[in-house]
Amino acid sequence: MAPSVEVPESVPDVVGSLAGEGRVVLAGGTVVMPHVNTIAHDHRALVSLRRAGLRGIEVDGGRAVIGAATTLTDVGKDERLAVLRPVIESIASPTIRNLATVGGNLFVKQPYGDLAVALLALDTEVQVAGPDGATATRPVAGVLHDGVGAREVVTAVAFDVPDASAWRYTKAMRRKQNSASIVTVAAVLRLDDGTVTDARITLGGAGARPVRATAAEQALTGGPLDHDRAQAAGEAALADAEPFDDMYASAWYRGRVLPVHVRRALLEEE
Amino acid sequence: MPKAYIELLVNNEPQEFLTQPGATLLSALRDDLGLTAAKRGCAQGTCGTCTCLVDGEAVMSCLVPVETIQGADVRTLEGVAREGGELDEIQAAFLEGFATQCGFCTSGMIMAAEALLGENPDPTREDVVRAISGNVCRCTGYESIINAILDAAERRRSAGGITYVERGV
Repeated sequence: MAPSVEVPESVPDVVGSLAGEGRVVLAGGTVVMPHVNTIAHDHRALVSLRRAGLRGIEVDGGRAVIGAATTLTDVGKDERLAVLRPVIESIASPTIRNLATVGGNLFVKQPYGDLAVALLALDTEVQVAGPDGATATRPVAGVLHDGVGAREVVTAVAFDVPDASAWRYTKAMRRKQNSASIVTVAAVLRLDDGTVTDARITLGGAGARPVRATAAEQALTGGPLDHDRAQAAGEAALADAEPFDDMYASAWYRGRVLPVHVRRALLEEE
Repeated sequence: MPKAYIELLVNNEPQEFLTQPGATLLSALRDDLGLTAAKRGCAQGTCGTCTCLVDGEAVMSCLVPVETIQGADVRTLEGVAREGGELDEIQAAFLEGFATQCGFCTSGMIMAAEALLGENPDPTREDVVRAISGNVCRCTGYESIINAILDAAERRRSAGGITYVERGV
């Protein structure tokens, strides 16, 4: 049976609508609706975020706060977030990006959810609203790993917009447009006089959820950003990866190409 | 469960109707309003045959519960031709460029193209490829469709939006 649809007009009303059995948050619908349309499910009600006032982008002093129901198209068009445009352009098609949301991307299983890989590299804070009006701020790593409670909803993400020179992103796909990830690599690097002083590297296609490649970060930090060290970081990335089989690539293939794409991302190779 | 009351502006005409709770925009168009240009393909947002414009943006109508877009401005292929049935530039370019074969994808392709040209009157080939990357065609190999959209853009630019369509053999 088709679930009922609720369109609450505030965050407290969204949280209120989530009380009860079988209630599901509906953001862009690009993941929930295929499920509703084609698979036996026990969703009784879809709680839409479309009118809850969660769409919008603020950038202040280099800090971006993006409402959970902001579409990927909105992010891709925002000049202040131009550094993230390659991430947005790598995800699905423009038609899907007109619906898909920033908040929804946090709940997408790999090999989808490339923006979540980028948000993990950016050490994003996630704002979560829950019952009794409480709003909590949580690290994105925890939200990616554990999700949120049944009566909680993500309301916004916040991160420092990286300098283009510090930002790295690459996504290996089966074709140039509209394809899921074979492997995705995002990174924020800090260099001081040619030496990598800090690195935050994250991977997609390397586990059910986006993962942080801490071994690769350690391999890269403390020396120059050159071919040998980037290659070593790429090899080290396998320590934190659990590549998987799906219709896009085998686990074997993902494991083989991961070091190459980590190196290419770090050195900005084509 | 009581039916849902919906108000939309569809192809510039106000529509008020009752539909099943949970109905998608695609179902509402096809089953409640009798507008069958948008096709029911994969029901997963993968094929693009149901592409319509909602408030000017191309979306997969199978992914949108119609209750979430009360009051929206919806445009379908039925609203593309001009009064009197004159084809618009994109339709004419598809027709004359043999950009349609079985026709199942055509409605979605044209709506994706309408969204593109509405925003970017002078797209590159790459822009066109990107714009229709969510629309699957299993007949044409895409080349004729891409060429038709580029042709339509040129027609629209050179004619200032009005084109005489020759309907020869």
